[in-house]
Amino acid sequence: MSEKVKIRLKVNGEDVTYEVDAHMSLMRALREHYVWDVKCGCEVGECGTCTVLLDGQAVKSCLTLAAACDGHEVWTNKGLGYRDPLTARLQEAFVECGSVQCGFCTPGMIVAGAAYLKHGGKADRAAIKNIISGNLCRCTGYVKIVDAIYLVAKEIEEGRLTA
Amino acid sequence: MTQVSEGSYIGQNVPRSDGHAKVTGAMVYPSDVIVPGMMYGALLRSPYPHAEILSVDTTEAEKMGAVCLTYKDIEPIKYNERSVSIPAATYRDRTVLPDKARHFGEPLMAVAADTQELAYRAVRAIKVEYKVLPAVFEPEEAMKDGAPQLYDKIYLGDEEVAVHNNIGVIRNISEGDCEAGFAKADRIFQESFELGRIYHNQMETKCAVVKPEPDGSITVWATAQSIHANRQLLGRVLGMPLSRINVIKLPFGGAFGSSIQVNTVTPICAYLALKAGRPVKLVSAREEDFYSHQKYPAKFTVKMGVTNDGLITAAHVTALVDFGAHQVQPLPFLGCTAGWFASLYKYEGNIRFDGTAVYTNKTPCCAMQGYGNPQINFAIESMIDIISNEMGFSPVDLRLKNYRGVGDEFWGQGPTIRSIIKSCGVEQSLVEGRQMTDFDHRERPDTKTGDVRRGLGLARGFHCSGTGGPKEGEVIDYSSALVKINEDGSVDLLTPVTDHGGGTWDALRKICAEVLQVPLDLVGLSPAGTMQIGYDVCTHATRGVYCGGAAVYHVAMKVKEKLLEVAGRLMAEHAYNLEVVRSDGLHQGVVQVKDFPAKSMTIGDIAKQAQNMSWGTIAYTDSYRQRNCPPCFTTHFVEVEVDMRTGVITVPKVLIFGDCGNPMNPDLVKGQLVGSFNRGFGYTVFEQLPTNEATGELANKGLLVDYKTPSAMEMPPIKDVEVILCDTYEPTGPFGAKGIGEAALASVQAAISNAVYNAIGIRFHKLPLTPEAVLAAIREREAQSAGATPS
Ligand code: FES
Ligand code: FES
Repeated sequence: MSEKVKIRLKVNGEDVTYEVDAHMSLMRALREHYVWDVKCGCEVGECGTCTVLLDGQAVKSCLTLAAACDGHEVWTNKGLGYRDPLTARLQEAFVECGSVQCGFCTPGMIVAGAAYLKHGGKADRAAIKNIISGNLCRCTGYVKIVDAIYLVAKEIEEGRLTA
Repeated sequence: MTQVSEGSYIGQNVPRSDGHAKVTGAMVYPSDVIVPGMMYGALLRSPYPHAEILSVDTTEAEKMGAVCLTYKDIEPIKYNERSVSIPAATYRDRTVLPDKARHFGEPLMAVAADTQELAYRAVRAIKVEYKVLPAVFEPEEAMKDGAPQLYDKIYLGDEEVAVHNNIGVIRNISEGDCEAGFAKADRIFQESFELGRIYHNQMETKCAVVKPEPDGSITVWATAQSIHANRQLLGRVLGMPLSRINVIKLPFGGAFGSSIQVNTVTPICAYLALKAGRPVKLVSAREEDFYSHQKYPAKFTVKMGVTNDGLITAAHVTALVDFGAHQVQPLPFLGCTAGWFASLYKYEGNIRFDGTAVYTNKTPCCAMQGYGNPQINFAIESMIDIISNEMGFSPVDLRLKNYRGVGDEFWGQGPTIRSIIKSCGVEQSLVEGRQMTDFDHRERPDTKTGDVRRGLGLARGFHCSGTGGPKEGEVIDYSSALVKINEDGSVDLLTPVTDHGGGTWDALRKICAEVLQVPLDLVGLSPAGTMQIGYDVCTHATRGVYCGGAAVYHVAMKVKEKLLEVAGRLMAEHAYNLEVVRSDGLHQGVVQVKDFPAKSMTIGDIAKQAQNMSWGTIAYTDSYRQRNCPPCFTTHFVEVEVDMRTGVITVPKVLIFGDCGNPMNPDLVKGQLVGSFNRGFGYTVFEQLPTNEATGELANKGLLVDYKTPSAMEMPPIKDVEVILCDTYEPTGPFGAKGIGEAALASVQAAISNAVYNAIGIRFHKLPLTPEAVLAAIREREAQSAGATPS
């Protein structure tokens, strides 16, 4: 059978040790350890529902080898919402702006949006569209998702929130 | 049903109550369900489009610790995955697992193992010997004598019927006198249209988790638009009493019709769990999901007669549909398609529809937002544009002159479900839209030059709100609800109705809160399973609010009656002298004496005192059936830009009118209209599912990257997406509401195509309008005009 490896990583601020198959994706490793806000829409890097922050960068966790994350830090939408005021605000903005329908794309979308804002992304709708172009949403038509990220970007620009 | 009270939640934009759970990632979807001791399932899917299974050897897979399931393990009960129609109008041709593969990717065997990976490995260890049969992929080919036959016999209701030349269903409908109508016309138009298959691409793939319980029952979590349909099908194929099957209602990651029928994976998962004696989870990979169901393709020929003053005197449509390897109800599909056609315009009552639906060795087709409506709408609304251009009518006036509106008959679900239109936003949409877009002054295509050409187009459409008619027809339609007042004045609402993201559950809570006049946050939506609540046919046919909401309204009214009776006893008043009003100050519903509010009690006090007196809980449950299927109307005014060098179509601007009666939550309604525009844009310009006829496989191999759906980049800028909700009130709807869901897509395709015509003067009869197709058409025209004008 497949080789197992032990990896130590920080998931949502907590030190954890996972024992995983050497070839397992980070998405499967997280979901098998009950971190199921990381959704699986395709498992081959096409849809973005599995987006997480790996050392501060938005990545598709289904394309990331879990074993390669040994010693690294992972934040998911759920964890960010508890610990990071910017993401918590972005989550609220998604509700306010009506950016959520079925909600299956939402966690990945919010992580992509939060990464953009954390890296100094501006209130620029074209740039926001670009940053979420790898995250598919079949329900909303994206308009209100762009709106929510734009709203929070504006709040940051106006000094009402820190990135 | 009654008007709303002052300060009502109905019509107010209230943030969706499941929003918090969804944005924080706390919400549990079927694919997230984890049960202790759970095994993981995987499917062996057919590598051939048509093949007999000669032998199966599962020894190696079993040695790996997998539980294996083949057709030998299942009862060969024939069923149709969709159970919305009555049994006598339902064709049955499939079993849980087949002994013959009829399309590439069809599930043939299943395994369950301790890990997902082991399950996949075990599938690969199963040895199958096939006899590969010739396959057929196009309906015209399939109907020829000597073509490969998918079936000899199938069942209609309890009757065995023979299948000839792969023809699954023929449905011909005729009313009035088409010949006389055409004779009266000054001009006759005839055109053909074609729409291919597309894929739902709901973001959560189809999945199920089935748990055998200690008492011999099973609990089921699945991507399902109807919990009761799942229960009843499982009862039938497992031979289990329904009382032992609890299908739990959950939100799931998008529907668009993909789970109206019971998903193919669900009964397989149930069989696996029962064979293993352990819970099993079976989730389709995206590449598999592409092969589970697709949207019906259609080829139409449309003939219309028109007088010189713009009266359409007759219309005749022929339809040819390839529905794939199993019937997920092409019979009602053809009936509905006929109905959408018949209900768009009056045609002086002279209509004919000849529909044929054919088996091919392709993935089975099922409903996808519109059930034939976007397909036939593209044909008819393109036709109206053609007639307007040819005869010099304004496209707005031609529509205004001929549309079916208030007082006219509407076929909500084919010829057997009809009701009279009582509310209609068509005129408002056309007249206001004409002004806002300055439609009458659009430039003609032959005046346009340059590399990027702009055009403006229009189309209108609708969908039914539910499938109820004054008389029962082929389609089952009723819903249930349970409402119970708690001892603190809060309310439990139990409904079998599913919500796919449109906000149906909030609408139902609002209806309950409005009837009982309690603060909205005090109305709780209870978890519901088939063991706890009565039947609802399905959240389909745009019926969630109109039909599900009407059941909540009906039951809440009964609870209100009981409440006032109990309050009367406590307050020494006659019930008819009492009324309920909401007190935001007390954060309670209050029962008071009419015209004497000083004498009042909160609903909480009433319920508590009724409990202290041992009078019982104030609660009620019942079912309710709507007797109308009012159309919800939409109109799309679309501006496009066509790049003459690349053939790329973009949409700089869109104006959408939606008529959903009194909107429960206007922002959520607008959200559905915008989302649908996005899907319609994909349908019109990108999406297609060609088959590799050498292998029977999809050309994209089930990969999303090779199946282009719109990303955020393709949507018009937010300031240029305008949505207007019509000012209408549906007298038969709960607080004036009707639906919107499927109507939101109906006219997108034709509006874009009509705008493209206005931009470049080329009429497209076939979707999608990919850059390649547009460019080829531009080149062809250039070649023709070069040939016509000698240089
Ligand atoms: S699940 Fe990772 S991109 Fe789709
Ligand atoms: S909200 Fe359903 S996929 Fe985005």
